[in-house]
Amino acid sequence: MFSRLTYTLRETFAGFKRNVTLTAAAIITSAVSLLIFGLTLLIQHGFDNLLQRWEGGVEMIVFVSAGTQQDGLDFIASTLQDQVNTGTVASFEYCDVACSLADADRVLAGDPTTRQLLDETNIPTLFKIVPAESTEVEFLRGLKESYQQLPSVNSVTLAEEQLDLIGKLQGFVSTYTTGLWIALMFASGLLIWNTIRTAMFARRREIEVMKLVGATDWFIRVPFMLEGLIQGLLGGVAAVGSMLFINWRWTQGVQDFPDSSGMTALVVIDGYQWTVAIIILAFGALVGMIGSGIAASRFLDV
Amino acid sequence: MIRLENVTKSYSTEVVALRDASFDIAKGEFVFLVGPSGSGKSTMLRLLNREERPERGAVWVAGRNIIDMPPSRVPHLRRNIGNIFQDYKLLSNKTVFENVAFAQEVIGKPKHVIRQQVPAVLDLVGLAGKEDRFPHQLSGGEQQRVSVARAFVNRPLILIADEPTGNLDPTTGEGIMRLLDRINKTGTTVVMATHDQRIVNTMRKRVIQLDRGVIVRDQARGVYE
Ligand SMILES: Nc1ncnc2c1ncn2[C@@H]1O[C@H](COP(=O)(O)OP(=O)(O)OP(=O)(O)O)[C@@H](O)[C@H]1O
Ligand SMILES: [Mg+2]
Repeated sequence: MFSRLTYTLRETFAGFKRNVTLTAAAIITSAVSLLIFGLTLLIQHGFDNLLQRWEGGVEMIVFVSAGTQQDGLDFIASTLQDQVNTGTVASFEYCDVACSLADADRVLAGDPTTRQLLDETNIPTLFKIVPAESTEVEFLRGLKESYQQLPSVNSVTLAEEQLDLIGKLQGFVSTYTTGLWIALMFASGLLIWNTIRTAMFARRREIEVMKLVGATDWFIRVPFMLEGLIQGLLGGVAAVGSMLFINWRWTQGVQDFPDSSGMTALVVIDGYQWTVAIIILAFGALVGMIGSGIAASRFLDV
Repeated sequence: MIRLENVTKSYSTEVVALRDASFDIAKGEFVFLVGPSGSGKSTMLRLLNREERPERGAVWVAGRNIIDMPPSRVPHLRRNIGNIFQDYKLLSNKTVFENVAFAQEVIGKPKHVIRQQVPAVLDLVGLAGKEDRFPHQLSGGEQQRVSVARAFVNRPLILIADEPTGNLDPTTGEGIMRLLDRINKTGTTVVMATHDQRIVNTMRKRVIQLDRGVIVRDQARGVYE
């Protein structure tokens, strides 16, 4: 058993030396494909964080037409209270004339001309509504439409443009990066397949002798498969290192952004990057095994 | 030890290499396969270690019909058969010792067994002291001795030799024949294809003659003709 192990390791190592350029190409390709694969997963996760934050913290504002009487306000309030009871709305708050004027003072501080146009008689009062946690974007839209149907409601605002943008960006980024890593991973599988085929061709005399003296197919195959496996794993290790480095640089860089920009949510520091690292290594090993396994079975009859 | 029953082997519809061949070889026999070029000698030998499979008939080796042996058993069949070729088939990047040890290594023999048995068999074939040479540093006869050592190191039941003296001058060839004779005397069955008239005539062993895939003569203590 021990001599079998040393034989296998010796042959695997000899295979690397024999075939340096092709091996390097296979490792680099698998590293790049696995890196893009890992970054795709991280970006997805970052966007998920961001979306969750927007959706969780989002406020809807229902502007009430100026001059609405108390019974009109009561009706809106009771509708919202019903929704609080059924769990679609987390909480709401009425902002009366004084509150709205104070808001206007703050929001329009840089725009005194507009501020001067507003006074107690014409400022719209408003309801600030916090929808329940983790609601879908689509659901928020439905909610917005239903508020617009209510009497005395002037308009409803929702941060849906930002949500839309983020959703689109996420879809865009993940579609193209997914295409990239699949293509590259296929290429690295082919390259590994090719290195193994070349290695087996270089050793066809030895394989012929091995078969004649009664070595089993698995005995002949294993060093080659191990060679492919190690190539995939080395690519995986390089990819994990690069990914962790990029993620670290990104996390550092993002700290300079203002907290309110939302960019700070676009980082992965919750340990998910370690899950991705393991997935990358497993994928690298798998691609190496498949590429070399197919080659080793197919070219055993040399 | 070896029995062929009505074996027919063709490579294509035109090329029928063996036609309805039958014979029986007992344990410890020494048999020459003779016949003109293309008569099917090599094909016959390749059937014995299942490098080829016939269309019809049965091939019995060591009590088993190897025609329908599952592929996973074939390596174990081959461990009982040693092979010697006209072109030696040595690995040029390995030394004499490594070439012989290779045959043990790849079937999982432990190191201490290899260290003990390889020098013994190299001694038997007369190559003691040349363990560390590479094949290109040996004469043709010496290279063939390495190949005999490799075929015999695992003590096979059967030794198959396909024109082992084909590349050697007569004297060197005789040396190889004496070696095969000695191996045969240890109880190993030897089947050898040859064109060498002198060798067949001096050894006076059983002769099976082929002509265009048909066995035309099977004679104890025969001559080449
Ligand atoms: N792999 C193959 N594919 C197709 N035809 C083959 C193959 N091997 C041998 N043959 C054909 O089968 C016939 C028998 O060949 P074989 O090699 O058994 O002859 P042989 O008696 O060993 O000849 P020689 O004395 O020249 O070595 C020949 O006609 C040959 O052309
Ligand atoms: Mg021949």
